Amino acid sequence: MTTLASGGVTSGVSAPPGGLRRIGSARWRRRNLTFDKISFFLVFLVIPVAFYIGFVVSPFVQAAYFSLTDWTGFTPAMNFIGLSNYAKLFTDSTFLQAMGNNILMAFVVPIVTLGLAMFFATLVTVGGSTRGNIKGLRNSSFYRVISFFPYVIPAIVIGLIWSQIYDPSAGLLNGILTRLGLEQFTSFAWLGDPRTARWAVMFVIIWGLVGFYMVLFIAAIKGVPAEVFEAARIDGAGRFRTAVSITIPLIRENVQTAFIYIGILALDAFVYMAALEPGGGPDNTTLVMAQQLFTTAFSKGQFGYACAMGVVLAIITLAYAGLVFAVNRIFGGKSEVAE
Amino acid sequence: MGIYGKPLGRRDFLRGSLAAAALAATGSLAACATSGTGTSTSSSSAPAGQVSDTNPFGVESGSTVDAVIFNGGYGIDYAEFAGKQVQSKQQGVTVKVTPTTKVAQTLQPRFVAGDPPDVIDNSGADAIGINSIRDQLVELNDVIEAKNFEGKVIKDTLYEGVTKPGTFDGKFILLNYALTVYALWYSASLFEKNGWKVPKTYDEMLALGAEAKGKGKYLLGWGKEAATYYQTMAIASAIKEGGDEVRLALENLKPDCWSLPPVQDVFNGLKKIIDAGYVKPGGSGTQFTAAQAQWTDADEFILYPSGGWIENEMKKQTKSDFKMTGAPEPTVSSNAKMPWEALHSTAGEPYIVPSQGKNVAGGKEFLRAMLSQEAAVNFAKTKLASTIVKGTVPPDGFGSTALQSQIKLLEAAGSNIFSWNFVDLYGMNTDQLVVWNSFLAGDSDVAKLTKGLQGITDKVANDDSIKKVQVS
Repeated sequence: MTTLASGGVTSGVSAPPGGLRRIGSARWRRRNLTFDKISFFLVFLVIPVAFYIGFVVSPFVQAAYFSLTDWTGFTPAMNFIGLSNYAKLFTDSTFLQAMGNNILMAFVVPIVTLGLAMFFATLVTVGGSTRGNIKGLRNSSFYRVISFFPYVIPAIVIGLIWSQIYDPSAGLLNGILTRLGLEQFTSFAWLGDPRTARWAVMFVIIWGLVGFYMVLFIAAIKGVPAEVFEAARIDGAGRFRTAVSITIPLIRENVQTAFIYIGILALDAFVYMAALEPGGGPDNTTLVMAQQLFTTAFSKGQFGYACAMGVVLAIITLAYAGLVFAVNRIFGGKSEVAE
Repeated sequence: MGIYGKPLGRRDFLRGSLAAAALAATGSLAACATSGTGTSTSSSSAPAGQVSDTNPFGVESGSTVDAVIFNGGYGIDYAEFAGKQVQSKQQGVTVKVTPTTKVAQTLQPRFVAGDPPDVIDNSGADAIGINSIRDQLVELNDVIEAKNFEGKVIKDTLYEGVTKPGTFDGKFILLNYALTVYALWYSASLFEKNGWKVPKTYDEMLALGAEAKGKGKYLLGWGKEAATYYQTMAIASAIKEGGDEVRLALENLKPDCWSLPPVQDVFNGLKKIIDAGYVKPGGSGTQFTAAQAQWTDADEFILYPSGGWIENEMKKQTKSDFKMTGAPEPTVSSNAKMPWEALHSTAGEPYIVPSQGKNVAGGKEFLRAMLSQEAAVNFAKTKLASTIVKGTVPPDGFGSTALQSQIKLLEAAGSNIFSWNFVDLYGMNTDQLVVWNSFLAGDSDVAKLTKGLQGITDKVANDDSIKKVQVS
């Protein structure tokens, strides 16, 4: 961006003839080439871009190329086989199931997590007493700290903790349920039953992330001037109406960012699954694309095919981000009309 | 931040989606990238050192042997022991033993760059699929034809048929070091106390299930990562029942191989036990060592099909006086093609020597050291498991009932020893776990199990990009 802007200025000024202008352009050129500017470009532009190309773009290009080959991963040799990996991918029922699982998760996890996070954030910041200043519930800072705790624990640890809680015979969950007299949960395999497995793992992901997004939303809501909320209250808006008509529109961009981050996490979910359901779960109901990619590459020795899976995953992620932007635009368009 | 959302700029859209893609894909997509396809440095196959009876492969004095050893249940100290032997027998040779838990991930770049180690213990959950590196390994016939440190030809000191599982298309490329006996394990003390007898058929197993139920115990149990132990038992039972015909049909991925009558009989036998409620529920959600502890420590179920590593694996979670003992896997009927004593035994811990290694002779010499009497006895004593070298376990099994029974099982089986490779060779276990978990949980039936397993087999059989191994 910086190069474009400065380049535009230079050419625009030096193009028309005339003495003063020429002096001006010379000054411009001198200014342009100061040590400060060059070192600035170098440190903040050239080096990052070089790193980005070297470590982000080139692996992408390489992986995209490998997806067109039959590379086994353990030889330097590979044959170009065109798009046949992709053809195979879209008839591979296991991969398609994994894709379906991921897509379901990319809708359920963000909506539930962000919904809860928004609910709590509202309570903690503006949901308090309706008298006096706009404030959150009593002891809100305490809730804020507590709810952030799960996010401090690494994802893999969260997975391991919950796999113990879900243990059919010795787990905390079944222990509590059977103690409450619900005998049907004796030895019930939450992670082993196709009806419950995917909801059980999604619950764990949501549990781990709500705190973080709540803090994110709290920060955003604090950035909104309190007068806006006071005005709404004077106009007679209740807590729910304030949240829907004032808070959410005001922090729309934060919600959008949050949606994209958490959606990407749900499309990956590898770490949680590696701890909770390393085998893909009952009837593959919790298998995610990243897991399938991993086994295809390392235990089946089909790196070319695995790269094709990676490319599809990247495309789905892009499409997801596009969808979130599009949805936001539809709603954003409305408020623009109101302006 | 304005109160009204600005319309979405095209540039913002691009920027946002690029960032998103970058974040998402770095994890998975970039994992596929290589560090660059290095040129293959071809090592000279001619030995650089002097070939003699004490140095049969001509290891060059002053050279280094690069050994990468899977650091799993057996640890790496036994390999370091062999490394020290090489160093003391071959003047000036240094052996570098590197432990790893993720063999494939660690060594994949080295294989691509043409710089693999000289000898590898390719074992564990993240072992390299042998099919993808088969062409890059040297044949190990000269290793077992050489003389060991004691002066005997190594081939004559090994158990029967131990090279078979390491032979692909007639080439012996995998030296499986640890002898593994698959069996149905039980607590001898518990069986004695209750007057129970080891079941020889699935019907006897069902009857024993009823007796166990009377004592408030389940017959069988399983853990989610180890559901396919029951597949291993089922295949062994089916091979005993139907003979080589069944084994070859499965190994060669024949259509409808899972529908052969002996296989179906075994599945039906298991299904009866599951339907009778003799299998401890909840296994599909239980971590496998936790499930195994329900057997070795809590006595909640009484029989468990597994390999001989089970004793070492559960050492710390087995109650005293458990007396873990193995029995042959059951047959379906009393007129099976193989006797009940026939045994599924193979060797594990596959050692390989890559042909592009810098010191191929050194890699082979390392294997020769491992196969010496001294190293083999050291392994048996410290790991309570036999190697493929005969006569290294004394009758008291170093005080282990499981090891004693393994040796007894091997002796009773005589030449009736069989094994198979197709599950590991084509990396099918992950897919099969899914079907077996639902079968054992009672959520599916024999027809669904058969269909599921056949689907997994057909998928490999019909995929032209997977090299097949013809077994006869």
